[in-house]
Amino acid sequence: MESGHDVLVIGAGCAGMRAAIEAFDAGCDVALLSKIHPTRSHSGAAEGGINAALGNASEDTPELHSFDTVKGSDYLADQDAVEILCAEGPADVYQLENWGAVFSRTDDGRIAQRPFGAAGAPRTAYAADITGHVLIQVLYEQVVKRAIPVYEEFFAWKLVEDDGRCVGVIAWDLLRGGLRALSAKTTILATGGAGRLYTGTTNAYACTGDGMAMALRVGVALEDMEMMQFHPTTLAPTGVLITEGCRGEGAFLLNRHGERFLKRYAPNAMELASRDVISRAEQTEIDQGRGLEGNVLLDLRHLGAQRILERLHGTRELSMVFAGIDPIYDPIPVRPGAHYHMGGVDTDVLGRTSLDGLAAAGEVACISVHGANRLGGNALMETITFGRRAGQEAAERAFRLGEVSVPAAALRDAEAELSVLLSRSQGERPWRIREELAESMHVNFGVFRREEQMAEQGEVIQRLRARYERVVVDDKGEVFNSDLTQALELGFLLELAECMVLAGRARKESRGAHARPSDYPARDDDNYLRHTLVVSTSDGPRLEWSPVTITKWEPAVRAY
Amino acid sequence: MRVALKIWRADAASGERELRAYEVDAPEWVTLLDVLDIIKDRHDGTLAYRKSCRMMICGSCGMRMDGAAVLACKTRMQAIAASGHVPVVSAMGNLPLIKDLVVDMDPFWAKYRAVNPYLKPGYTVPPAGREHRVSQERMNTIHKESLCINCGCCVSECNAMDASPEFLGPQALAKAMRFAGDPRDGAKLERLEGVNGQHGIWECTRCYFCNERCPKGVDPRDAIAKLGAESIKEGIDRDMGAKHAKWFVTSAKTTGWLRETELVPKTQGIVEAVKQVRFALGLARVGKVPPPFPPHVARDVRESRRLYDLLGEQNRRGYAGIVQGEKALARLAHGHIEGSRDPYGEGSFPRPFIAAEEGAP
Repeated sequence: MESGHDVLVIGAGCAGMRAAIEAFDAGCDVALLSKIHPTRSHSGAAEGGINAALGNASEDTPELHSFDTVKGSDYLADQDAVEILCAEGPADVYQLENWGAVFSRTDDGRIAQRPFGAAGAPRTAYAADITGHVLIQVLYEQVVKRAIPVYEEFFAWKLVEDDGRCVGVIAWDLLRGGLRALSAKTTILATGGAGRLYTGTTNAYACTGDGMAMALRVGVALEDMEMMQFHPTTLAPTGVLITEGCRGEGAFLLNRHGERFLKRYAPNAMELASRDVISRAEQTEIDQGRGLEGNVLLDLRHLGAQRILERLHGTRELSMVFAGIDPIYDPIPVRPGAHYHMGGVDTDVLGRTSLDGLAAAGEVACISVHGANRLGGNALMETITFGRRAGQEAAERAFRLGEVSVPAAALRDAEAELSVLLSRSQGERPWRIREELAESMHVNFGVFRREEQMAEQGEVIQRLRARYERVVVDDKGEVFNSDLTQALELGFLLELAECMVLAGRARKESRGAHARPSDYPARDDDNYLRHTLVVSTSDGPRLEWSPVTITKWEPAVRAY
Repeated sequence: MRVALKIWRADAASGERELRAYEVDAPEWVTLLDVLDIIKDRHDGTLAYRKSCRMMICGSCGMRMDGAAVLACKTRMQAIAASGHVPVVSAMGNLPLIKDLVVDMDPFWAKYRAVNPYLKPGYTVPPAGREHRVSQERMNTIHKESLCINCGCCVSECNAMDASPEFLGPQALAKAMRFAGDPRDGAKLERLEGVNGQHGIWECTRCYFCNERCPKGVDPRDAIAKLGAESIKEGIDRDMGAKHAKWFVTSAKTTGWLRETELVPKTQGIVEAVKQVRFALGLARVGKVPPPFPPHVARDVRESRRLYDLLGEQNRRGYAGIVQGEKALARLAHGHIEGSRDPYGEGSFPRPFIAAEEGAP
């Protein structure tokens, strides 16, 4: 059975829902498809806020926002994309407010903004420390208002290419079982990141890089895959996020002696330096024995109970449940954890990929507005602004094109491939492969990278992929077979890990999140002021390079 | 540590249901969700449950433990395992079962949609490039309601829904309050009318299970109370529930005690009351009905009148009269009492310092 639409958006977080709303308002037949209900999407776990130069807390301009973003990216961001984000962001935030987003307010009733890392002005609009939750709710409310159809709990598995065009997707229906083919003139990937590649990650179980891997398999390039951001404040052992908003409100980072160690790493910005700088500083303190059981400490005590209860109540709740710490009285033990993929599906500023009919927006995409290091608060803004742009472009395209359909053979091939996996009864369960992958990535491809460790990781991944070939799914049933979908997700993760290591080894410099202090400690603009691209071929992934777009800001020394 | 639990395995299609026991090795920090993962990965891949963020914000993992709804990711297991108790885990209540711990959420979302859950701006949308200004204080009216993550724990425990499945229920009504109380919304009366229908706010039995089991402090019963108070304030009081509530207030401010003999006609109307005369006479014969004459006035009636007037003086008619308890709750839930401990006192982590100023450690 096949269902067809003008536009099919895969993933229903902030980027996906924003894209669908835009395409709907343009008059399109649009549908969302997601492996989890839209409000369960991981955009909802974003805490600190969304960056736009509203100028509500102090004077600010899109220009200044652009510069901060470019500098934060260690000059790897494409500046045309950054300028679009910073120029169009404010109107997008006002629209969210007019749709009903429950932002925190200034004394004169405007949207409140707080300071965030590496930002030249208090630019991060927020809703206490549950900004993502508030945005995912308001976007879902707008989806409901428009009665946009949602294929809920549909697991997208394969994009379908026909005659040089993407014509839709094949998805597993979790609640009823079975593969379904859905055709679309434009398919927009909005599936988020792949943080589940790491043991300590802020990311949800759902963040398994599905969209990136699906795009790779139909020949679309993945850009800057070595650029995985480590967030400086996550809770041991699993990596639950503690917002940068804490430091925005004035929290300190301390080593075991109570020293604000950032004085030695980022003497001006201190706790509000960029995330890559702070994560490296923390890891150095921990590695040199000044941590506390593998952590440093995030101290909120001086903010006082009232401010913590009003603006950081979610953080307090997380600290109490997962660390047994009440931040009113005690510092929170934190460590760097995998958080955000700056890299992703190579797209232009309208979300388009190299494959006709396939677009991407949000964390799955690499436009690139974040370059080698994303600023806190820029991800939510990217989901909204570039989600909207991708939706608009897909709608315009729909009016130009005739109907498309998924060839029957594509569904038959997919069913045959799936039956091979489901019929296997002897072999290894997926969990150990998944755990070994995540643990080895953490050790060998983490905050600091070394050539020999990355080389070893390449071999680890090859061994894990060979084992994955014989993986066994216990559940052979049709109804809510998450055993099957989790096994498919592991396949996606393994392919992405291979791309990351390939790109990481090729980039023989230190830039943003890609830090190689032992062999290439400096940034090398002469050779590496360019993006890595990984393309899948029959001989395995191949590395290519593409230029960085520079409009106004020539690379300069980056210090905080 | 060893963690033991029992899970109600179930298959809606075949109707089979079985309580199965599990015991696994787990690190001390695990939550119920982590234990389910260990079981699924290493012991039985067919176990079905929903999960995603594992940090209490996505609302996927609502289920029951020992008969009460919890978020699996918020439920730490160490104390339970240490006590030797073997908890029983099952799917949420009041929603159709699909498999094991997975329920059909469609009825849940249908009720969500029924309250028109989106802002209907009551102002001219500012020209592109501006927000609608509104004070934080006014926005605080819907602070708790906007914390809702749609996990379904309140619906699972709702006793009124158990008896009347069509009741809108705590989740949808909290969502209705989130908009009815939004100072930016222009459709308050329409929304209040909407929740005053047959299966609306007055069907709530006030058992407070929703407040008790909500993992996010939304307090849906408080939201329902706010909708009721605001409805009466706006003159939407045709429902027996509203009339009943109003009579309590009238009674309290006139004579200071509840005049039950008048409660039935005031709530159900004269016709219904007449039908119950025989029943009332029966009650009177065994001394269960206080004689209405002469009217008895409570000695301290002035205090109850003063309370009523005070609400008016503080401009707290309608939803503002329902206690906004978030700060009190934050203290109760997490044991925070202002100044109960000096964060820098003995045994606390030392005060921060900057090495450049005070010498490196």
